[in-house]
Amino acid sequence: MMGDMANPPTYPQPREDATNAPLIAGWREGRLMLQRCGDCGRAFFYPRPMCPHCWSEKLAWFEASGRGRIVAYSHVFKPHHPAFDAEAPIVLIEAALEEGALMLTRVVGEDRTNARSRMAISLVPMPEAARYPLPTFVLA
Amino acid sequence: MTKSDIGIVGCGQTPYSKRAQGTLVGYLADAARRALDSAGMARGDIDGLAVAAFQLPPDNAVTLAEQFGITVSYADYFTAGGAGSVAMMLAAKRAIEDGQAKAVLCVAGDLYDVGAHYRLMGNFNQALSNYAQPHGFGGPNGLFALVTRKHMEAYGTTCEQFGRISVGQRASAALNDNALLRGPMTMDDYLNARMIADPLRLFDCVLPCTGAEAVVVAAVDRAPKGKGVRVLSGAEQHNHPPGEVAPLHIGAALYRDRLWARAGYGPKDMQFAQIYDDYPVMVAIQLEDLGYFGAGEAPGFLARHDFAWNGSLPLNTGGGQLSCGQTGAGGGMIGLWEAVTQLRHEAGARQVPKVERGLVAGYGMVGYGHGLGSASVVLERA
Ligand SMILES: [Zn+2]
Repeated sequence: MMGDMANPPTYPQPREDATNAPLIAGWREGRLMLQRCGDCGRAFFYPRPMCPHCWSEKLAWFEASGRGRIVAYSHVFKPHHPAFDAEAPIVLIEAALEEGALMLTRVVGEDRTNARSRMAISLVPMPEAARYPLPTFVLA
Repeated sequence: MTKSDIGIVGCGQTPYSKRAQGTLVGYLADAARRALDSAGMARGDIDGLAVAAFQLPPDNAVTLAEQFGITVSYADYFTAGGAGSVAMMLAAKRAIEDGQAKAVLCVAGDLYDVGAHYRLMGNFNQALSNYAQPHGFGGPNGLFALVTRKHMEAYGTTCEQFGRISVGQRASAALNDNALLRGPMTMDDYLNARMIADPLRLFDCVLPCTGAEAVVVAAVDRAPKGKGVRVLSGAEQHNHPPGEVAPLHIGAALYRDRLWARAGYGPKDMQFAQIYDDYPVMVAIQLEDLGYFGAGEAPGFLARHDFAWNGSLPLNTGGGQLSCGQTGAGGGMIGLWEAVTQLRHEAGARQVPKVERGLVAGYGMVGYGHGLGSASVVLERA
């Protein structure tokens, strides 16, 4: 239902490094991993070596619920990379995750163009999740 | 307040091209030569060099000095994207005030076209490359579509109101031979253009192009008679507000009061506004944060004003990036170039009558979701 499962497009991939490895490893199993600060308690995205709110290095990875809401959305008719052309329009969103972190991501699925601000979203489940390089969402 | 004697004594702009052709150093040299001519200076008068160009690395200001064959006591390679040129000019002014140099050549430009723009934006910085590129984010069009959507939903701004910026500037571009898009454009043309990244249509998005700009910063009395431009005040603020993906504010909100207080003027005293215009929504956000109207009042302000060079608010009086094209990092200097040209009364058919002072605002350096940099100056004919 989400395209050719056996031959996913060759999407550009994030470059794995010491900071973001848990995010990328978690998503390979369909889990959304976030960092939370041990000092100020805030969860954030994208991965960093220190808390952007208080500079603490006491950071812990945890599995987020995978639920959130759309803050803003766009139907991108002209993706900037050919791997996405067959899926245009890409529904790009700013997502507010339940845990408080903000994320740029996209909504996929046949009904994706129904996306509107404030709508609830949830993670693409496995095994479809494995198709996408980073945590990706569907309308809940 | 005491007025600084250091200002802008010359400016130059190369022809713009839709195709990336020639070489970057060639374009920067062409802009530099034109700026020196305009300043009535020779190469040997320059003892400082600052440069803004995304495609310059692995080269930098010092290796550019080697290319140019000049020795300099001040060299600076920019940061802050579209805010970089204004920030660079302010840094050059401080270097001269500190005695580090006497005349600094500031150049900006890129060998840009649509393909080069997409290649650059996919790897613009670590956060975009790692966490936006894998989603097919559509480059800046996708990101600024989110900001535009948020502006419309928060304030009730309409596409037609944003369109008044693009349409008004196009009227000025008709009088600028260097504008790549200078044919007439009506509101219907704007609204019926193809959708790029909803709600952004074709004429909301800048055309990446090739070209370069330059200004010479020095004591204003070194300019040819009647051609000096004073810097009444300047400020910059980057990554404000921190931690947001698509905010409706920029750093100018923090420095606005200081900028105007030091200038001794307010927005109403400005006879033009050259405001970084990669997308109309960012013009609206900068105008708000620079104090042209109150919080959330963009819809009424945009509806009420005519933004052509001879309108009620002369905005990006050469057509801006939306009509001229965006020469990569040179997009941050086109407003400065146009402002100096206007203040020298050299703008020809689009000359704002009797212009004495105006505002230039730079904005840019797209990070994880939006442009992070903001830098502004208030300029006055010396
Ligand atoms: Zn913290």
